[in-house]
Amino acid sequence: WRVEHGSLGFRGLTMFCSILILLCGSSLSLQGFVELTIFPTVANLNRIKLNSKQCRIYRVRINDLEAAFIYNDPTLEVCHSESKQRNLNYFSNAYAAAVSAVDPDAGNGELCIKVPSELWRHVDELKVLKIHINFSLDQPKGGLHFVVPSVEGSMAERGAHVFSCGYQNSTRFWFPCVDSYSELCTWKLEFTVDAAMVAVSNGDLVETVYTHDMRKKTFHYMLTIPTAASNISLAIGPFEILVDPYMHEVTHFCLPQLLPLLKHTTSYLHEVFEFYEEILTCRYPYSCFKTVFIDEAYVEVAAYASMSIFSTNLLHSAMIIDETPLTRRCLAQSLAQQFFGCFISRMSWSDEWVLKGISGYIYGLWMKKTFGVNEYRHWIKEELDKIVAYELKTGGVLLHPIFGGGKEKDNPASHLHFSIKHPHTLSWEYYTMFQCKAHLVMRLIENRISMEFMLQVFNKLLSLASTASSQKFQSHMWSQMLVSTYGFLKSISNVSGKDIQPLIKQWVDQSGVVKFYGSFAFNRKRNVLELEIKQDYTSPGTQKYVGPLKVTVQELDGSFNHTLQIEENSLKHDIPCHSKSRRNKKKKIPLMNGEEVDMDLSAMDADSPLLWIRIDPDMSVLRKVEFEQADFMWQYQLRYERDVVAQQESILALEKFPTPASRLALTDTLEHEHCFYRVRMAACFCLAKIANSMVSTWTGPPAMKSLFTRMFCCKTCPNIVKTNNFMSFQSYFLQKTMPVAMALLRDVHNLCPKEVLTFILDLIKYNDNRKNKFSDNYYRAEMIDALANSVTPAVSVNNEVRTLDNLNPDVRLILEEITRFLNMEKLLPSYRHTITVSCLKAIRVLQKNGHVPSDPALFKSYAEYGHFVDIRIAALEAVVDYTKVDRSYEELQWLLNMIQTDPVPYVRHKILNMLTKNPPFTKNLESPLCNEALVDQLWKLMNSGTSHDWRLRCGAVDLYFTLFGLSRPSCLPLPELGLVLNLKEKKAVLNPTIIPETAAGNQEFSSSQEEEEIDMDTVHDSQAFISHHLNMLERPSTPGKVKVPQSHRRRHEHKKKKKKHRHKHRHRHRHDARERERDREPFAFSSPASGRSARSPSLSD
Amino acid sequence: MKWRGILQNVSQRPKEISSMARARWRHGGLGQRLRNDISEIGRSAKSYCEHTARTQPTLSDILVTLVEMGFNVDTLPAYAKRSQRMVITAPPVTNQPVTPKALTAGQNRPHPLHIPSHFPEFPDPHTYIKTPTYREPVSDYQVLREKAASHRRDVERALTRFMAKTGETQSLFKDDVSTFPLIAARPFTIPYLTALLPSELEMQQMEETDSLEQDEQMDTENLALHVSTDDSGAEKENASVLQQNPALPGSRNGEESVMDNPYLRPVKKPKIRRKKSLS
Repeated sequence: WRVEHGSLGFRGLTMFCSILILLCGSSLSLQGFVELTIFPTVANLNRIKLNSKQCRIYRVRINDLEAAFIYNDPTLEVCHSESKQRNLNYFSNAYAAAVSAVDPDAGNGELCIKVPSELWRHVDELKVLKIHINFSLDQPKGGLHFVVPSVEGSMAERGAHVFSCGYQNSTRFWFPCVDSYSELCTWKLEFTVDAAMVAVSNGDLVETVYTHDMRKKTFHYMLTIPTAASNISLAIGPFEILVDPYMHEVTHFCLPQLLPLLKHTTSYLHEVFEFYEEILTCRYPYSCFKTVFIDEAYVEVAAYASMSIFSTNLLHSAMIIDETPLTRRCLAQSLAQQFFGCFISRMSWSDEWVLKGISGYIYGLWMKKTFGVNEYRHWIKEELDKIVAYELKTGGVLLHPIFGGGKEKDNPASHLHFSIKHPHTLSWEYYTMFQCKAHLVMRLIENRISMEFMLQVFNKLLSLASTASSQKFQSHMWSQMLVSTYGFLKSISNVSGKDIQPLIKQWVDQSGVVKFYGSFAFNRKRNVLELEIKQDYTSPGTQKYVGPLKVTVQELDGSFNHTLQIEENSLKHDIPCHSKSRRNKKKKIPLMNGEEVDMDLSAMDADSPLLWIRIDPDMSVLRKVEFEQADFMWQYQLRYERDVVAQQESILALEKFPTPASRLALTDTLEHEHCFYRVRMAACFCLAKIANSMVSTWTGPPAMKSLFTRMFCCKTCPNIVKTNNFMSFQSYFLQKTMPVAMALLRDVHNLCPKEVLTFILDLIKYNDNRKNKFSDNYYRAEMIDALANSVTPAVSVNNEVRTLDNLNPDVRLILEEITRFLNMEKLLPSYRHTITVSCLKAIRVLQKNGHVPSDPALFKSYAEYGHFVDIRIAALEAVVDYTKVDRSYEELQWLLNMIQTDPVPYVRHKILNMLTKNPPFTKNLESPLCNEALVDQLWKLMNSGTSHDWRLRCGAVDLYFTLFGLSRPSCLPLPELGLVLNLKEKKAVLNPTIIPETAAGNQEFSSSQEEEEIDMDTVHDSQAFISHHLNMLERPSTPGKVKVPQSHRRRHEHKKKKKKHRHKHRHRHRHDARERERDREPFAFSSPASGRSARSPSLSD
Repeated sequence: MKWRGILQNVSQRPKEISSMARARWRHGGLGQRLRNDISEIGRSAKSYCEHTARTQPTLSDILVTLVEMGFNVDTLPAYAKRSQRMVITAPPVTNQPVTPKALTAGQNRPHPLHIPSHFPEFPDPHTYIKTPTYREPVSDYQVLREKAASHRRDVERALTRFMAKTGETQSLFKDDVSTFPLIAARPFTIPYLTALLPSELEMQQMEETDSLEQDEQMDTENLALHVSTDDSGAEKENASVLQQNPALPGSRNGEESVMDNPYLRPVKKPKIRRKKSLS
């Protein structure tokens, strides 16, 4: 047994890939061949490992010699199915092990090709090898997604299309390759498709040639810029083609009939191009760019080398307001990733943060330029809040994990229920937050070294990469196209000359955020502000911060910045004040931005010159600040501080001060036209909360009513809203939001005031969009949301059944509106069916509040495949909620079934996600739903049912964790092993490092009739697979990249089994077939745990 | 009238003619004959007179006529001077019925100064001036909005109820399916089309507003704004990119470079030389 040496075995390959796609009838299949040219860099290479999943490989030839190959994918079934283990710790470890067993960065792969012995000498001379692999792919479950509408006509007429998709490196799902971001090679791609179809792929389209029968055409693509296989993509369909009118090398594709929308949507793209090229002072690296808009997208935006795949739902016409900025953001995001992510790839998974950080950062710069500083700061604040909340909840996001020696105890993310060692084991939510943190940290670096230096660094990275990309492979320059944390930091210090190591250590090498508590006192005698800043660094997800912290104090004489040094023990900081507390009458007060304003100072403390204080106003620390200051200070801050973040913070703080003064400050903000519209929207909701707290003393009409009337209603008849005119977007957003916030008002009986409900109903009644240039679908949807917000729980007399007769008259009105809207949607559908979505949500609210009988049937019909995806998600959300509230086992099963069978990957992912967010029960809760069958079902789902989609599998893991926690679910009977270690807590009972062997061993004793099979299966366990590879480490290895993954101590054990290995692989196929059979009937699978418990001795024994 | 008088007179002549002739009178045949003869005399006399380029028949014309008709003219004076001749009395003058005056509607306009007064008067105003026949419309804004709103609501409700009644429905209440009938959700084969494409109504609206705007912007040469509006026409959907591009800004030399786009190049015919075989 010999082994090849990590990825050093072959660096650099030229790939030639030809795939024949057949789209016919219901059989969606593809066949093709891949040709790899390999330059061995070490002698003794006799095994070549490639990544491949799902593909059926017919034949492998190396330099025209037949080569033997073995196909083994341990991720198909992570834990051996007969194992009775049901604890997540065990699963996560096994899963991480399985993924690293095929990790291309570690030189592993599912497909192991043996170099024929005739070529060994050839290899030892480091000569070129040509590998030719024939494969086919039949109805792939992941990696490639086929969309085939079931209508009459040919495939092209039906709008059938196919595209590649996946989470991180997922190219192995559709052709054998080295599926790594760090293995660069040049590409020649050929796709033969039906003559009515267009195949869009990476690089330049060299030519299109008909086949001899003229029924098909072959698209020849050439990508000369070295690119990782993971950045290769494909989209085939009867696309309409649009050449960008501003940049002819950019081509847009969309599905039939959508061309007008495509034209409008992409008409903006050239500006994004210009922006990035200008700030990076670098041309777009590829010679062409393609955007493809497809249905049933896996993610909204996916960037690949020289092409991006978007969801078709991003397309919109000129009449749509709300979608426009969102779509533009998506376009800009994908383009940023073209530079950093596609052109410049990463060295290893732990360098991912650099790419995500840079692309997110330059995308932020684009946001700032396009939507303005306010929007940018608002976005940064939003992202900061998100990451802070997530880290505090889960215990931290680590950007740059360093793994020492593979020992599990060194696991840097032990607080998580998954391994962060591989992208494929990562929870989707974690990965989203990871990207968010990455760009925030990039911003922190910018704060430290200035933007010019930052852009210089990017430019340097890009220019090095583009020089390298034009070189030949033999020049060994291609590694310049891969970015690493080390390289990035080095060029930062070269360019700026600054040491940012402490910053990196704090935010990149370490997880957690900072939590500040601040309060202050003003010492009149010393004229000093005594600021106390405490930190919480003991709760999970927090870390201690040491270093500078900026504090801004607005005094009567002006605004002053102070930089405090936060040190280990010092809590108190004295800040000298400038102004005497004596205030000059009628003197204007200078603000931070140099503006001077008149203020009514009567509200403030006569002794203190302080107007307001802000801690870390620039958000230069990833932190959460809870700061105490008096209500009038918050009010001054809201009125006069010009920073939108400060305004938002003060709005949030004012919720706790329900006073007439707060009310006035909020109302003034709401009315102030120069105020940022998002702040005004936030003020609406705060005002509603304050009004509810002040309900007994509130005077005048309901909050915001007169304001709304003044702004949006006719002068002559104040109860009638003006005909819609959405030319001013700010007031459009405000007009949309105010009724929604108003509906949250409650009177003393905790009911929505009749006046408000009538008001909203009138808005709906008099809504008139005939003269408007824009569509009012979002506006109408928000009106329905407002109706839903106004619903309060029904007064129910001893749980009577809800019927029409005892329906509350107000609810009857609401229901009438909803019915009409929902029915009108069938006749005149709105853009993205926003109104249907809102109606479904409102119906669920009515059900939940006991006005309408709770029934999931309606939602289930809307959740079916064939409805627009937004509708489906809304309906599914309602079903998930129903499952939770009514504890319905049937609906839960229905949802789980959908997770397994739904044709749209995004929907499956979303169901898991929603179930995790709104779980039917949690680990600490007793629930009738929690039973063995469910445990087994979910276990099976994550163990083998989701092997075709990394994201889905991680989603299933998340759900399992939410429902049962890390340890063995409490509803399961204790396994026999429990007896052995029962002295400790339950959690300790199932020590994952001990149990696999014991469990497996145990099994052989207990179930002798299955002995033969179990033995074989045990060997297939991923752990065994790794060990098997460890045994192959007999040929000399080059230093460096080879990692020794895990469990040395099991090694001797598997040595004994070594002889069986050949045998084992032969069995594999039989085993797979068996598994497939089981997959088909997921519910017929009986619980092994229960089977065991019948035989197990009881605890008392 | 005249004929009847004449016939009466003639019929009073029973003494002059035989009883047989009297019977023929009674039957009216002779009267008819008489009428025809008199008519013929008049007609022929007129013809003769016109033949001789005159307008009024003279005695000689009548004589010629009578001769032509076979009368013995010479007997005529004797017949006229006969003794029992009866004098035909003039028919009694009855009061001519007054034609009722045409209904005048409104006041006739006096002639304007430039029309001399001898010209006929203007006809009644309703014959040439449009007069509203409906009531003064309600122009109160509030009422109008109210009406428009309730009209639309009624139409919508009626329409949706009709659709709900004719098709499958879903209901929120198990005991009652008719009060809040929801049209059943039906999956689409291609759901994104209905969700993304603007409805025909919206397209129409958009075109209207666009045309308004285009009018406003006619002068400005801001073509960029037109990119989106121009393209909204559904009929242009399938027009090739090539046709539209020249109209766009910044493509002065655009045509050639558009031609360069590899996706627009014609598909090549397969080469004659053997291609690399697949698999």
